[in-house]
Amino acid sequence: MTTRDRIVIIVLSALAVVAAAWLLAVAPEREQAAKIGAQVSAARSQLATAESSVVSARGAQAGYAAAYASLVSLGKAVPTGQEVPSLIYQLEQASNQKRVEFASITSGGGAGSSSSASASPTAAAAGFTQMPFTFTFNGSFFDLYHLFQQLNGFTLRTASGGLRVSGRLLTIQSVKLTPTTSSTKGSSGQLTGTITATAYVLPASQGLTGGATTASPAGVTQTTSSSAPSSSVTTPAVIGASR
Amino acid sequence: MKAFNLIPAEERGGAGIGAGKSGGGAFVVLGLLGLLAIFALLYGAARHQISSRRGEVATLNAQAQVAQAQATQLAPYVSFMALHEQRVQAVSQLVDSRFDWAHAFHEIGRVLPKDASLASISGTIAGASVAAATSAAPAAPATTSSSATSSTAASVAVTSATPPGSIPTFTLSGCATSQAEVALTLDHLRLIDGVGEVTLQSSTKAAGSGGGGSSSSGGCAGSDPVFAMQVAFEPLPSVATTGSTSSTSTAAASAATPATGASTAQPTTSAGGAQ
Repeated sequence: MTTRDRIVIIVLSALAVVAAAWLLAVAPEREQAAKIGAQVSAARSQLATAESSVVSARGAQAGYAAAYASLVSLGKAVPTGQEVPSLIYQLEQASNQKRVEFASITSGGGAGSSSSASASPTAAAAGFTQMPFTFTFNGSFFDLYHLFQQLNGFTLRTASGGLRVSGRLLTIQSVKLTPTTSSTKGSSGQLTGTITATAYVLPASQGLTGGATTASPAGVTQTTSSSAPSSSVTTPAVIGASR
Repeated sequence: MKAFNLIPAEERGGAGIGAGKSGGGAFVVLGLLGLLAIFALLYGAARHQISSRRGEVATLNAQAQVAQAQATQLAPYVSFMALHEQRVQAVSQLVDSRFDWAHAFHEIGRVLPKDASLASISGTIAGASVAAATSAAPAAPATTSSSATSSTAASVAVTSATPPGSIPTFTLSGCATSQAEVALTLDHLRLIDGVGEVTLQSSTKAAGSGGGGSSSSGGCAGSDPVFAMQVAFEPLPSVATTGSTSSTSTAAASAATPATGASTAQPTTSAGGAQ
């Protein structure tokens, strides 16, 4: 064996050792390190997602009281039940304020149907249930005009785009003003206003607050003692219509 | 002359890398050891990286689990906020879809000429009466509507009784002192904020004299013409915008004094401004 042959063999052997060391020891470890690096990235993104969820949930928790109050307030506009007595009370109060006589209320939106005030709601495809009514008021043009304003004002948008709710949400579909036929004292200039309007009711599947209480929404396990009352809120039966 | 190498045979070959007894093998071994040392360094670094990253993954997973648990615990708040948002939007949609009747009446009172008077006003929203009549109530809609064209209003997702696109229409009947006054009334009604179209249905002078003889609707004096006209407003907006006719802003009625003509339906004085 010549010197050159020995050198070639030594070099080849060294290369083989180097390759074996790389392939068997270093490369797998580096590969595993890379895999775990990917796991770290995944875990980081998972943590970021979870933390953002927590942040948004904490934001929701922080705004819960205001949202709850707002939702209950919206219950004045669209209650869970028909709340016809409350509606009558509001109309009576509004008409008294505007010097208008609240003559009649008929459920169903038909002038001829003289049934009692047990409205028959119409379930819409989605959203709220409609309850048509026909109201009759007696008063002067201006008083009736002011009454329409007041009826609209039960639920209206504020300048900031929010909602101000002080009574039942009514959508007036038709209005008819005719001279009052009765020749009672002081009926000159008096009009009879017949209004067909629709009130709205939450669907039976939806509660007013979805089971939430003033303390927490439904499904929250209370870990800390809360001094807030735990009674669930129902639709206020009677609310003030005046502003 | 023949050349002759004076260097001894075992020392020939110069002082190259392969010189020496090992024939360069020592350099190869050194190089090999160097490479192996580098590999050992890489291996150690990788091992360290693995162990540290494993710890990091475990920590991150634990933190993520804690955060997830917190988010799960607070999830009802998020659901509640979604419910709140949905409810607010639904009510807002209904509020925005309403027609401002008070404003319309105010405008009618504002533009009516003083020599014209109204005996009756009937306003309805085309498409709304039908929607309401689809309820269980068997009776017809209360008002004399023009032609309710859209009966599918109640079945759309927006449950407003006055769906977007509905056209508020007023039918006015009354008296005027002359036919010219009827024409003036038509002109003035076109000035109402949000009016789309004003059409005359009829304007008839009573055949005989005497108030109320032939004009059953208003009891017009003498031979004053009895008119009936229709005022159609712009369709209700389809988006949640507060247009001039559907906004809930309360117009200051006192600023615009209604006409002072004597009438049963028309305001007779300006004393009844908005409070």
